[in-house]
Amino acid sequence: MSYRDTYTESQVILTAVKIIAPFTLTYGLFMTFHGADTPGGSFQGGAIIGVTILMLAFAFGIEPTREWLRNAVLVGLIAGGVAVFVGVGLAAMALGGNFLEYDRFLEVWGIRQKWGMEAIEIGGIALIVAGVVITLFFATAAGFTPTRTDGRGEDE
Amino acid sequence: MSAVAYTLVVFVLLTAVATALFRDVLSAIVVFGAYSLGMAILYTFLLAPDVAMTEAAIGAGVTTILLLLTIARTSRPSSDRIFERVNVPALAVCGAFLVVMLATVLPATEAVGDPEAIAWANPEVTGYYIENTYRDTGVQNAVTAVLAAYRGFDTFGEAVVVFAAGIATLLVLGREVFA
Repeated sequence: MSYRDTYTESQVILTAVKIIAPFTLTYGLFMTFHGADTPGGSFQGGAIIGVTILMLAFAFGIEPTREWLRNAVLVGLIAGGVAVFVGVGLAAMALGGNFLEYDRFLEVWGIRQKWGMEAIEIGGIALIVAGVVITLFFATAAGFTPTRTDGRGEDE
Repeated sequence: MSAVAYTLVVFVLLTAVATALFRDVLSAIVVFGAYSLGMAILYTFLLAPDVAMTEAAIGAGVTTILLLLTIARTSRPSSDRIFERVNVPALAVCGAFLVVMLATVLPATEAVGDPEAIAWANPEVTGYYIENTYRDTGVQNAVTAVLAAYRGFDTFGEAVVVFAAGIATLLVLGREVFA
């Protein structure tokens, strides 16, 4: 027996993912946006958001999902996350503080430290983690081209 | 710790041994996912919900999927035996090592939640975070405050490592798999 036939159009998987995916996406977003005051945070939330995409890929086929989320989009997400993180850190330096010294935002712009932290959590770490999880998945999974007519994967 | 926690410890130990012993890789990966989920629930009993969520999402979720995808590219050897044959001398050496380690480490380990434990008895570090996190940063989750504010530069380094690893994977694999 071989593992080659990874994609089968299964009514059970499709229905299960259709029901579960909105909840996991909401939970991941909640954890990301609420990490400052409750357990969890952007790392865990970003991973759950990434896993939601993995579930969709399992249900609807990996290649169709990859056509929708191109590598360029994913690299853009990851690089954008790092850019936001660096940007917040350097902005604090430009205002005369140290790297990521959120107190400067409060003194100069009247923005509370919490929002500086939320910025690097939501705009930085969550994007990086979600992007890398999806990228690793696609890089590992590429090559299984599903043919949806007979529901069996093609040998390369 | 409650009876549920001790049951979880037994479950985690059993799944860990089963992961090592199963001959079929698919079975080993599925049992390994169950092990990660058991660890995640155990972490909540040890009052570490942040670690538990990471273990559940990364350990039980992403790692299992990536391992499954990896073995999907291999062939599955047919075998009658369910478990790996145990190498008795190796098992004896590992067992002796485990006994020595437990005998050395366990007497020096504090009970869970012990107020006299070293971590709590270090007011300069742990006590400072517990007392001043909300006043310094305005967030209620001290773990987030340590990661994003007190140790923000370290977290930045970690984020860049994850970024570099992802980009490197794409560069190395990209030419072969996305051709």
